[in-house]
Amino acid sequence: MRVVLISSHSGHYTGGVKEFEIEAQTLHDVIRVLNQRYPGLGEHLEEETSVAIDGEIHEVAYYHPVRPGCEIYFIPKIEGG
Amino acid sequence: MDAKVIKQEGQTLKIVGTSPVRPDGTPKVTGLARYGADFALPGMLWGAILRSPHAHARIRAIDTSKARALPGVKAVITAEDFPEQKFEFVGPERVAVNFWHMTRNVMAREKVLYEGHAVAAVAATSKAIAEEALRLIEVDYEPLPHVIDVDAAMQPDAPLLFEDMITRGIDPPPGKPSNIAKRIEFNIGDLDAGFAAADEIVEMSFKTAPVHQGYIEPHACLARFDSNGQGELWSASQGHFVVRAFTARLLNMNIGDVLVHPAEIGGGFGGKTVIYVEPLAAALSRKSGHPVKIMMSREDVFKATGPTSGSSMTVRIGVKKDGTLVAADGVFKFQAGAFPGSPVMNATMCGFAPYDIPNVRSVGYDVVSNRPKSAAYRAPGSPISAFAVESVMDAVAARIGMDPLKFRLLNACKTGTPTVWGPKHAHDGYAETIKAVLAHPAYAAPLGKNQGRGVASGFWFNNGGESSATVHVNEDGTVVVATGSMDIGGSRASMAIMAAETLGIEYDDVRAIVADTASIGYTHVTGGSRVTFATGIAVVEACKKVIVELCARAAMIWKLEPGEVVWENGCAKPAGAAAGKFEPMPLKAVAAKRALTGGPIGAEASVNAGGAAPGFATELCDVEVDPETGSVKILRFVVAQDVGRAIHRSYVEGQLEGGVVQGIGWALNEAYIYDDAGHLLNAGFLDYRIPVASDLPMIETVLVEVPNPNHPYGVKGAGEVNIVPAMAAVANAINNAISRRLTDLPMSPPKVLAAIHSGRKG
Amino acid sequence: MSKHHVTTTLNGNAVEFLCDTQQTLLEVLRDELHHTGTKEGCGTGDCGACSVTVDGRLVCSCLVLGVEAQGKSIQTIEGMAQGTSLHPLQRKFLEHAALQCGVCTPGILIAARALLARNPDPSEEEVRFWLAGNLCRCTGYNKIIEAVLDAAHEMRGS
Repeated sequence: MRVVLISSHSGHYTGGVKEFEIEAQTLHDVIRVLNQRYPGLGEHLEEETSVAIDGEIHEVAYYHPVRPGCEIYFIPKIEGG
Repeated sequence: MDAKVIKQEGQTLKIVGTSPVRPDGTPKVTGLARYGADFALPGMLWGAILRSPHAHARIRAIDTSKARALPGVKAVITAEDFPEQKFEFVGPERVAVNFWHMTRNVMAREKVLYEGHAVAAVAATSKAIAEEALRLIEVDYEPLPHVIDVDAAMQPDAPLLFEDMITRGIDPPPGKPSNIAKRIEFNIGDLDAGFAAADEIVEMSFKTAPVHQGYIEPHACLARFDSNGQGELWSASQGHFVVRAFTARLLNMNIGDVLVHPAEIGGGFGGKTVIYVEPLAAALSRKSGHPVKIMMSREDVFKATGPTSGSSMTVRIGVKKDGTLVAADGVFKFQAGAFPGSPVMNATMCGFAPYDIPNVRSVGYDVVSNRPKSAAYRAPGSPISAFAVESVMDAVAARIGMDPLKFRLLNACKTGTPTVWGPKHAHDGYAETIKAVLAHPAYAAPLGKNQGRGVASGFWFNNGGESSATVHVNEDGTVVVATGSMDIGGSRASMAIMAAETLGIEYDDVRAIVADTASIGYTHVTGGSRVTFATGIAVVEACKKVIVELCARAAMIWKLEPGEVVWENGCAKPAGAAAGKFEPMPLKAVAAKRALTGGPIGAEASVNAGGAAPGFATELCDVEVDPETGSVKILRFVVAQDVGRAIHRSYVEGQLEGGVVQGIGWALNEAYIYDDAGHLLNAGFLDYRIPVASDLPMIETVLVEVPNPNHPYGVKGAGEVNIVPAMAAVANAINNAISRRLTDLPMSPPKVLAAIHSGRKG
Repeated sequence: MSKHHVTTTLNGNAVEFLCDTQQTLLEVLRDELHHTGTKEGCGTGDCGACSVTVDGRLVCSCLVLGVEAQGKSIQTIEGMAQGTSLHPLQRKFLEHAALQCGVCTPGILIAARALLARNPDPSEEEVRFWLAGNLCRCTGYNKIIEAVLDAAHEMRGS
């Protein structure tokens, strides 16, 4: 599946790389794989982003299932008034 | 977390979509409801806050000795009474909290950064003594040059609020400090190629004034904190859990040692998602050993609490002759106020979100200046960028000779349309709002002399997130629903409706309350149009657990297996092999046997709700411009908003009506006016003029309902997107009436008159 | 500085209180007599949240001194319902969802009752202008106006 990091701080961890191909079952796996490649990135994604899985926006949580071929975007978290 | 438990298609809803009387209604029409300022305790002291007379000054020294010596004064506090906080941004990027900033906003330390900035506070046995004590506090200020306007604050020689602030978001970081706290940029496609392919390009620049949320209830709280490290607050806020967390942090306490009671809240609109008086009242109480009450004056509210940002923006849009959008570029510069944290990121994300545009760049700047720290306000950021984008869209439609609604419809986003921030839209709803206005009789109604019609659209995310609810069955079979969501506009009614619908019982058999921070699980703020969505899911989840338990109790009564009982129309009913063996047993009958079957029946559910679906709105405004005075009268206003599904119909309509009227105020009247010394000249409702009843027609609402499959009843959210298109709708109507495009908010009579007398045509 | 002793009538009941010279009627009602249904929105007479009647005249209680209550008859929101029976305006505000946060509601109900006492059959425009001194930030006024007109209709019929 395609994983894209939109949050501007994520570049600090990845040296600017924004897109990845990852195989995983849950969002937890996605975060673990990314954190293994770029130590510290996992905590950034957990604490400071929301996630869009095939466009549906969720708070980042381990249990979200991710299907093969889906698109995952870690985006800046939104708050309203 | 499976929220999709209740059938969407073909389900018959009995209570959802009706408009019953709210559970908290009678106390609110009889004066018995208790708001932030309405609490008192024996031995209570009155707190008062000393505020800066300067827009920008260094604090050399504060002498409180005379104030402390005044009879009746029980405590005086300054920044020294709060621990220093680490300088770090924590939490999500858009609303990253920096407690180093927060503690300084609550009580100035090295410098005062805006007129009205708190510098000291006292607690005394009467209001009069507290006020007198403030006059005895001697502050030695070194006045500094100040800057108010966002463009001026970005100049290289502008006075700096923070001498060491380096802009974040620029790589490599700038070598020099500035007032620009952050730069952000989103891109899709190839901007230059997009504009090169355009047949027509329209570019315009805009300014908007900061506007205050304007809630009628000033901030107020009562605090009772012990020197042994425990405390209680009665506070009107949009999130008592956030009040608890922030207050505990600023006082260096454990979160669990602070109990916050949710007072009724007299309006918030985003402005009560942060704290001002709570840590001061708590610190005064802790120091004096007595309960302390603090009430802000209206002047304090204007000078020291969050407006939303003013802005300076440039938007450029490229289009093919056939009306296809090919490129868009926006630069959005936002006033954050005295500390970083404007909603500019939302503005950059939302501005172009309604449209399918292949090549987009959206740039934002978060800029500090010597005015109060901005706070969230209804769809924070989105109305501001929408004013620019929707004004340019109107001009583009005119340039290519297309109907402005059909132009929008041609380019409307739908499921699968890419967004500038990356992912594709996952929900429809925008086109349906355009079609609703196209089909509305108002769109074809004739206009008279000096009259004009404008349309505009808007996008807002709507939020999910953490919420908690409990559902308890009482001895007589009535039900109590408790949630952690502050009720700002009738949400207790919505919770009761969803619980009654899910349980299959009468609305009047359900009581909904807001529980304090010790009585329910963490629940995030009432904001982002999230309560009916996220807390609603928690309520339905808790009801489902209760239903499982009710079925088990009925099975025990009937000596059946739990799997042989289902819940239908408010009754337990034998099913499967046992079907028809017993008459259905209503909830009241199950409740009556609770002691025999295991004791009280109830459940709690806590969720982190995902899958919130965005809201879209399209609005139509008719105006009449008085050519003699430049005064603009709103003749007619239609708002069509996709709410997913309206749970309490009247209160959803009310959200649309209220949001639109706030937008009209923003468009026509509201602004902060400063003198050359950086003093706010209109810190009161007489001179900061919010719309009054005689300014307005009846707002016409159209509830578009494209259900969100991620909510058991289809809720998307109702509270915010209605304000997003409003200013552009008014500006486009004025342009239609006088052939002059107003690009500077508010569009007050002098500006409209000047535009009429100018040669420039829109 | 000694306090003033004031004798007045509050919602039909004889009441005595002590107040300082500078205390407003609003402060006396809220802080001394614990009638907190009357709200402070601005303290400068601009928002109408503190509306009460003094001898039948609609005033902002933040612009009246406590001592001025001497010998007068004060009506506040707490006296609007007759026992457990809500005034038609109160009932219609609930039925029409004419309040969201509700903090302006007591003042608007008092002002609307004063209007209907003078003019039992107001037009929409008359209601809008009469209530122009009562700010509501939540509702956009639609449902408030509808509730007042509906209450007036019902009261004329009874």
